[in-house]
Amino acid sequence: MTYDLATIAPELFLLVSAMALLMLGAFRQGNPTGLVLSLATVATVITFVLVWLQPTARELAFGGLFVRDGFGNFMKGLILVGSSVSLIMAWRFIERENMSRFEFPVLMLFATVGMMMMVSANDLISLYIGLELQSLSLYVIAAFRRDTLRSTESGLKYFVLGALSSGMLLYGSSLVYGFAGTTNFNTLAEILQQAAQAGEAPSIGLIVGVVFVMAGLAFKVGGVPFHMWTPDVYEGAPTPVTAFFASAPKIAAMALFARVLMGPFAELVAQWQQVVVAISLLSMVLGALAAISQTNIKRLMAYSSIGHVGYALIGLAAGTEAGVRGLAVYMAIYLFMNLGTFAVILCMRQKDRMVENIDDLRGLSRTHPLMALAMGIFMFSMAGIPPLAGFFSKLYVFLAAIEAQLYTLAVVGVLSSVVGAFYYLRIVKLMYFDEPAESFDQPFGREMSLIMGAAGAITLLFFVFPSPIVSGAEAAAASLLAAAG
Amino acid sequence: MMSSAVISGFVLGALAPWLTRAVGARVHWLLAVLPAALFAYFAQFLPVIAAGESVRVASEWVPGLDVALSFYLDGLSLIFALLITGIGTFIVLYTGGYLHGHQQLGRFFLYLLSFMGSMLGLVLADNVITLFVFWELTSITSFLLIGFNHTAPRSRRAALQALVVTGGGGLALLAGLLIMASVAGTSELSEILSNPEVLTSSALYVPMTILVLLGAFSKSAQFPLHFWLPNAMEAPTPVSAYLHSSTMVKAGVYLLARMSPGLGGTELWFYALVIFGAATMLVGGFLAMRQSDLKLVLAYTTVAALGTLTMLIGLGGEYAFKAMALFLITHAFYKGGLFMVAGSIDHGTGTRDALSLGGLARPMPATFAVAVLLGLSMAGIVPFVGFIAKEVMYEATLHIGATALILVTAAAVLGNAFNVVAAGIVGLRPFLSAHKPTPHHPHEAPPSMLIGPIVLAALGVICGVGFPLTSEFVAAPVMASLNGLPVAEQAAGLYLWHGIKPPLILSIVTLALGALGFAFWPQMRAGIAAILKAIGWGPDRGYDQAVSGLERLAYAATRVQQTGYLRHYLMATFVVVAAFMLATLFAVGGLPTQFRVPTVYLTEVIALALLIGGAVVATIVYSRVAAVAAIGVVGYAVALLFLVFSAPDLAFTQFMVETLTVVILVLVLMRVPLEVSAFRARAGRLRDAAIAIAVGASISLVLLTTVQGPLDLRLSEYFIENSVPLAHGHNIVNVILVDFRALDTLGEIFVVTIAGLSCFGLVRLALSRRKAARAQLQPAHRTAAAESPGGDA
Repeated sequence: MTYDLATIAPELFLLVSAMALLMLGAFRQGNPTGLVLSLATVATVITFVLVWLQPTARELAFGGLFVRDGFGNFMKGLILVGSSVSLIMAWRFIERENMSRFEFPVLMLFATVGMMMMVSANDLISLYIGLELQSLSLYVIAAFRRDTLRSTESGLKYFVLGALSSGMLLYGSSLVYGFAGTTNFNTLAEILQQAAQAGEAPSIGLIVGVVFVMAGLAFKVGGVPFHMWTPDVYEGAPTPVTAFFASAPKIAAMALFARVLMGPFAELVAQWQQVVVAISLLSMVLGALAAISQTNIKRLMAYSSIGHVGYALIGLAAGTEAGVRGLAVYMAIYLFMNLGTFAVILCMRQKDRMVENIDDLRGLSRTHPLMALAMGIFMFSMAGIPPLAGFFSKLYVFLAAIEAQLYTLAVVGVLSSVVGAFYYLRIVKLMYFDEPAESFDQPFGREMSLIMGAAGAITLLFFVFPSPIVSGAEAAAASLLAAAG
Repeated sequence: MMSSAVISGFVLGALAPWLTRAVGARVHWLLAVLPAALFAYFAQFLPVIAAGESVRVASEWVPGLDVALSFYLDGLSLIFALLITGIGTFIVLYTGGYLHGHQQLGRFFLYLLSFMGSMLGLVLADNVITLFVFWELTSITSFLLIGFNHTAPRSRRAALQALVVTGGGGLALLAGLLIMASVAGTSELSEILSNPEVLTSSALYVPMTILVLLGAFSKSAQFPLHFWLPNAMEAPTPVSAYLHSSTMVKAGVYLLARMSPGLGGTELWFYALVIFGAATMLVGGFLAMRQSDLKLVLAYTTVAALGTLTMLIGLGGEYAFKAMALFLITHAFYKGGLFMVAGSIDHGTGTRDALSLGGLARPMPATFAVAVLLGLSMAGIVPFVGFIAKEVMYEATLHIGATALILVTAAAVLGNAFNVVAAGIVGLRPFLSAHKPTPHHPHEAPPSMLIGPIVLAALGVICGVGFPLTSEFVAAPVMASLNGLPVAEQAAGLYLWHGIKPPLILSIVTLALGALGFAFWPQMRAGIAAILKAIGWGPDRGYDQAVSGLERLAYAATRVQQTGYLRHYLMATFVVVAAFMLATLFAVGGLPTQFRVPTVYLTEVIALALLIGGAVVATIVYSRVAAVAAIGVVGYAVALLFLVFSAPDLAFTQFMVETLTVVILVLVLMRVPLEVSAFRARAGRLRDAAIAIAVGASISLVLLTTVQGPLDLRLSEYFIENSVPLAHGHNIVNVILVDFRALDTLGEIFVVTIAGLSCFGLVRLALSRRKAARAQLQPAHRTAAAESPGGDA
């Protein structure tokens, strides 16, 4: 048991920190939010270091419910970056926007613990528990500004649709359990392997179960046709929360998707590949298309995230080690571009109010040249234009798709990125060529400049030093596949 | 060394704004040192390449992807590198004069030098990914340069249009290159192209070639994607002279030439290149005649020239490749030079409209002399290299198969005749016709703006007179790159005087046609304008229509799938689930085949009747509370079924949960303001019924198919066998609850406890608030109601 505790040390630390901060918040006199928020940020950073220090060798804990491996560590690292940066972005925001309550950072921490559990789940039960810990925290965070209609509405929509998808996932899990007799990922993989070697076709109940599990997971990553909640929730939620939604939970759900499909259900690749291809195609096309008609930048980012999910899923659809590596690289680069963009969005304030219209960015290059430069880098990168990081992330998944002979997917991916490029580049044109709109409030705060600068530098200079992210992703993919094989 | 040559442009570009501030107005003389030095560096490879060797350097770049930073120098890339650096030198100098004292000169140099670096990288790249990276970088720098005068809406539109067309084509190219690399098993072009059979015999040859052609055609402005190039003339003239005539737009031609030994030699390649090339040549020439703006005349003839080059690559064979090599350098010389002349005229007089210019020979004698020399090369007169290029081109068209011969030759003659007219419009007309007043008093261009045209005009003569050298150092190495054979085996001989043979006769016909066209230019302009007006549509409008169509589609897509109504989202989710299940059924198992009606007992019938009745009532009643109650009945019926099938514990849980759910739902609904009008129309009810039935039917079908197969009894057997030996219990359900899955039970107890505690907390909170409210003697404005939790259960 002590050994098990060492295996889950990062999760344990974060969970205990969250509890301690909850107590601190509840029993401290005065408004403890600032303190709790800062300490929560520190806790995520320490957890990041703990994940970093974890060995990458595969290790099961708690009777096979939990697995720690290189893949999990890589994804957890990304999740923690997402969480800590979102927390930092919330520092000023919650005071300005009158939502200064200490439960906010605590809920963020609980959600993060849930995500880490999801990534490391090695059993349908632990998967569900991690997922629900995450989801329930996120429902509340989405509706955190109870005084605004948009926020409460988005929280309610998220809750209802999220509960529905959790229900589907649970229904699917129970079918799988009923037909395979186990919920453990390793045992499931073994059973399916033996059946395949014996030449038995998988039972239809099992396949229906897997399809339901996939539908639930597709909802969590926000892939078409389970994407409907994304734009409404992204627009309605407070902006740092949107930044959080677009980064950490996406990565966690994507990692979970990969772990479930490449692990226990690796034998069923012929069955699930078509579903993933369909989700990927629809997400890329709809994400690119619907983004064009948006005027609100947060909704735009929602469609952009739908499109990016589509691209990342290309890697998963390939069903190979190269594909998983592509997915890991994609999510890593997506994380940095996205956090940077949201830092810019958070700086869009006029007369002490947040503005969210894309048109408010007009002429930004003259009013705030550095911010425009950073945003320009993110937009060019998201459009997949070389030599920025976003190009390489697309390249990795396209190559994996071509190696797996999914030519249609690769070509549709390329074509939809033409459409996608259209709206990203329109923002660049807006910032650089149009007449300036009203200038944004100064100062932004040093932490915002730092986030923008760091994310911009990573996006811009990835092509010079690609190896930290790429070799990490490579090791992650290898460790996931080694476990499945 | 070669990597540093490519990167140096970016480095100096980054320093340029600072240098401009530090050095001031004469900075161009300093900046021009770099392209000149690069030119010298590449020039030293001329003898090596002409001797039939090639140079390749590579270094590691992106790990795990077979992407190396590799460069390859052969005849084709060397000639391009020399054109890029050589003309680049003069363009930097020219910019210094043309944008003298401009506020953002430094930024302009940043873009310009970055472009030079990108273009060098493009033509030198050996790795397909490296090639693509530089390819897109040229599109981006071109975007920034076209939009340099960003206060003009036209130049903003042109910049975005150029980027969308060339950048989009670039992405198609990426797909093509990736497929090509995957088919060939390597991503180094020098290796891919050394094995053409692998490509041409691949099943993916056609899609791969079409994607590559799409990239090349969009970049090199082939009809019908040519429209962005004339619009790009909104850029300052040095940009037009450099990017949009002599270098960037030739990137597509470069790519076609580069791919020629690998993808060429097939029918698809021949017809695609010859048809699109010839069409572009004629359309470009035709539209050039309509223009009066000097830059637009040159822009359309550039389109025509790009078509000519594409056609020559498509024709293939020794003459066509030789003609391509010669026309490539010829066009770069005269077109780059004439653009600079047009810029000088604009700079000197304040207008570049051919109709309002005249008599400039006297105030601008040097410009005039240069313009005449460049014009003669463009018209293809002896002894300019333009003449040789034209002769070899006719030789090439006369050497192709019988049927296409007449068509292609006639097209070539017509295209060249258009060129002669254009040469007259730009090179002669502004200088010779009667003097006309212009916005500025005409003055001669400064030396920095003259040196480029002078050198380029001189090169036109030198390469013509020194044709043996042109043959050895230009034609043969480029031909070797195009057909993949060694340099020594190329039949690259050139002649200035060929005797009176068919090509010469065609040349005379061309000149005569051209002279005729020049004489009747005003009439021809009017005629073409009338024709275009009758057609009333062009690809430029097509672009706008495509963009607005895309936007309309986007709005429609958003409207349909993003209504903002939760019920629509739920509907979509259920429809998809039903579709998923049916698709799975058809894909793997087929539909159920056995329909066996089991013996049914009365209790079961009652439970089922309750269940169906509850469900039906829930859908038709108008009161929400009644609907909740009906749903409760459904739940109770399910519990009854559990009871009938001897699972009393499950039934008991179900009874409890159902009761609680109904109570809580009713409590919540009583607090929520209910709008009685919120009832759906008949159509809506029918739609909802259809969805509900579809979901129910698909689940039923899945269940029927599922139970058809043998039930996996391992789990039940395990519990039956082990419940006594392992857990000493005879009631298996109890054993599972308290032993096998004891941890789950513990968890459940935990959850119930926490839920109870939270309820207690909330109730206390509500009570204390109510007490406080009463203490303040406020009337029944129950703030507690607003705070009371809805979803905590």
